[in-house]
Amino acid sequence: MTTPAVEDRSARTVGPANGAALAAFLAAGIGALAVGLFVILAETDLFSAPSLYAPAGGVSGRTTFAAAVWLIAWVVLHRRWAGREVEPRRVHVATLALVALGVLLCFPPLWALL
Amino acid sequence: MDTLLFSERSIWTMLHGIVLGGGALVTLFAALFSLVAMRVPAGAAADAGAVDRQARYLAGLTVAAAVVLWLAVIVGTYVSFPPYRAAPPEGTADLSAYPRSLLLSSPGTEWLHGFAMEIKEHVPWIAAMLATAVAFVAARYRSAVLRDARLRRMAAALLGVSLALVAGAALLGTFINKVAPLE
Repeated sequence: MTTPAVEDRSARTVGPANGAALAAFLAAGIGALAVGLFVILAETDLFSAPSLYAPAGGVSGRTTFAAAVWLIAWVVLHRRWAGREVEPRRVHVATLALVALGVLLCFPPLWALL
Repeated sequence: MDTLLFSERSIWTMLHGIVLGGGALVTLFAALFSLVAMRVPAGAAADAGAVDRQARYLAGLTVAAAVVLWLAVIVGTYVSFPPYRAAPPEGTADLSAYPRSLLLSSPGTEWLHGFAMEIKEHVPWIAAMLATAVAFVAARYRSAVLRDARLRRMAAALLGVSLALVAGAALLGTFINKVAPLE
């Protein structure tokens, strides 16, 4: 993905640069997709994240790995965008699309189709 | 009284579902309502002190929502889920102490594990990530969230999605607990 760093203050009235906010939003979308991907990979037997707490089973590995992806994405994006003005439209659309895809991949009826 | 009214795992289940899950629903809804109700339309004259105060309340509310939701998710995954999925010893006839096996033992309740619990295992983690992003933005940007239409709309959208996911998971959890409670 290219960095959408076009200056756009037309819809902004006041306040600091929006980069840190958009980094948090997009990282949450990436985290949501990571949850969905770890689930679908396990369901299709392509990759099972190791269980980190045996009594809870595989869900402990899937969710912890996804949370790690989320936090790493957040740190990386924050370091790139904090203090900068970022064009928000594409980031908003990408975030919502990633969240929708992540939730969809967690939907059991989908697994039966694969 | 020499008998316990509730078992330890029943208390943890209530803490997970009613206290933390319910708390997350309440705080997420309150945060979403506040974000919309306290918005400052572009060009509108507003008392800066009042807006700052409202933004501080909103930040506190979103942080509370994220913290309560994470606690619900972690308690659910690491405290309530293990006894739910515990396998019964060979030859066990009464499965009431083993909710997962009890649900899977009947075609009429199988979906409560294969659909409902599978969703509950993962989707709340997504909700917690979204709520955390909004809490971070509300805490860092304060009144800018109430004044900046784009930031506000995105924060409201993510709070709304998070609320919907938590509400769905809570409903499915209620169904599961009605049929196969952790007692």
